[in-house]
Amino acid sequence: MKGELKEWQEKLLGVMKGRRNRQLLYYLELCTRCGLCKDACHIYRATGRVEFVPSHRAEILRRLYRRYFSPLGRLIPSLYEARELDERALEDLYEAAYTCTGCRRCMVYCPFGIDITWLLGVEKAMLVAAGKVPEELAMLTDAAIEKGNSIDLYRDLLQEQIKGLEPELRERTGMPGASIPIGRKGARVLYVALAGAHSILPAAIIFNLAGEDWTLSMFESSNYGYFLGDTEKAARVAERIVSEAKALGVEEVVITECGHAYRVMKHLDEVWSKQKFPFRVSSIFEPFARYLKEGRIKVDPDRIAERVTYHDPCQLGRNGGIFEEPRAIIRAIARDFREMNPNREKNWCCGGGGGLVAQPDLEEFRAVTGRLKAEQIAATGAKIVATPCENCRLQLDLLNQRYHLGIQVSAVTDLLVQAAVVEKGQKKAAALG
Amino acid sequence: MADEFKVDLSLDLRGLACPLPVVRVGKSIKDVPVGGIVEAIATDPGALADFPAWAKTTGHEILKTERNGADIKFYIRRVK
Ligand code: SF4
Ligand code: SF4
Repeated sequence: MKGELKEWQEKLLGVMKGRRNRQLLYYLELCTRCGLCKDACHIYRATGRVEFVPSHRAEILRRLYRRYFSPLGRLIPSLYEARELDERALEDLYEAAYTCTGCRRCMVYCPFGIDITWLLGVEKAMLVAAGKVPEELAMLTDAAIEKGNSIDLYRDLLQEQIKGLEPELRERTGMPGASIPIGRKGARVLYVALAGAHSILPAAIIFNLAGEDWTLSMFESSNYGYFLGDTEKAARVAERIVSEAKALGVEEVVITECGHAYRVMKHLDEVWSKQKFPFRVSSIFEPFARYLKEGRIKVDPDRIAERVTYHDPCQLGRNGGIFEEPRAIIRAIARDFREMNPNREKNWCCGGGGGLVAQPDLEEFRAVTGRLKAEQIAATGAKIVATPCENCRLQLDLLNQRYHLGIQVSAVTDLLVQAAVVEKGQKKAAALG
Repeated sequence: MADEFKVDLSLDLRGLACPLPVVRVGKSIKDVPVGGIVEAIATDPGALADFPAWAKTTGHEILKTERNGADIKFYIRRVK
């Protein structure tokens, strides 16, 4: 059989073979097609399309595996539902792998704990080898790597632009010495923001009010290599931050409100890059909840009068383990807090993860598949939906428009800044807007 | 200053959340002919490095970068 294979087929099957381990065999062989995962998936529930049943997304892989790696499937493919690796199979792999948000809600409901997204990771690795990947995800990944390679060219410009935010920082904190240090050696904390001022300034206000010994990263925390499923490139994107943290000698790398960025740095990159970080990785809520507890920042619980609900980003909550710290912050600053139902590890995905918000062609798909989330939000009666992930916020803004929810979608840090009290006659850190 | 260039398409990317500025430019550049010029205004400090890095990896050319307060304006030529 091998002799009949074309070069590209050999290459892709080589990728599958490279991933062949106990986990792959366990997941492929154990699925009983019980279908319990189908009702756990917001995409299947909103569309009713069989292609979007979680176990079905892995079915192509299972059939390819049988065709090329199991003795009986190789011998009598038709009897063992084996499938040829051809152009059609590539199309199907593409649709299965790149329309999943990676929320892993299906895994929570699977009686065997089968992680469909892990299998989709194998599918993505094959598609990466075939060069059949979403253009935007590839473009963002390559640009991030290039930025890391040439950061010296832009360092001064970036520093100057960020210094431009300091007058507003001083105004909002009432602290004449407030600053946004970049690349400061020996700082305790390295804060990794997103590219926008909206992710830098609010956090800078809190760090300054709390008297934190911090510095800002030159790099953005997002990592589109992860969504692309190219772990080699994803590790190179993450390595920019790892090298910076090592060079500065920080104790703690604090990741901004970005679900996948936290998961990559906290749980994945040490495995990809086969190293042990000499620093701790935290979500931004860990230090912020600590400041509140230790009284390093004070808040007025009456400034946010409207009802607030909280959306657990899948990569931060279910897949990252951060549930309570953001809730502790919201409870401290909003008297009328209402949980969505279900929440925490069973929370519904908003439909924006997996790199889907970066693909304009998927906007309609996202609007349709976010239906359950829209209903869940509407049932809380909340006017403010706080969520600590840029992808989620972009998606919730879309759902707000499409389902006429009448909500304000906010980062948790923005609400914290709104509620923060500046002491000793200093000015209030007014709401960012 | 835009008089220097004949701009084929203007994009206002101010205040857009990550990663939309680069995604929008990447998509919109296909709407001008090869040799055509896109003018893009962004406010993200990160755009100062993100746009040149994007141009380098996609093969397009940043002709000029102007800064005016928080606004950063790029003139980008579609090369291919
Ligand atoms: S719930 Fe688990 S065993 Fe059942 S069909 Fe889904 S993946 Fe297979
Ligand atoms: S990870 Fe989420 S989107 Fe993907 S198949 Fe499972 S439930 Fe559906």
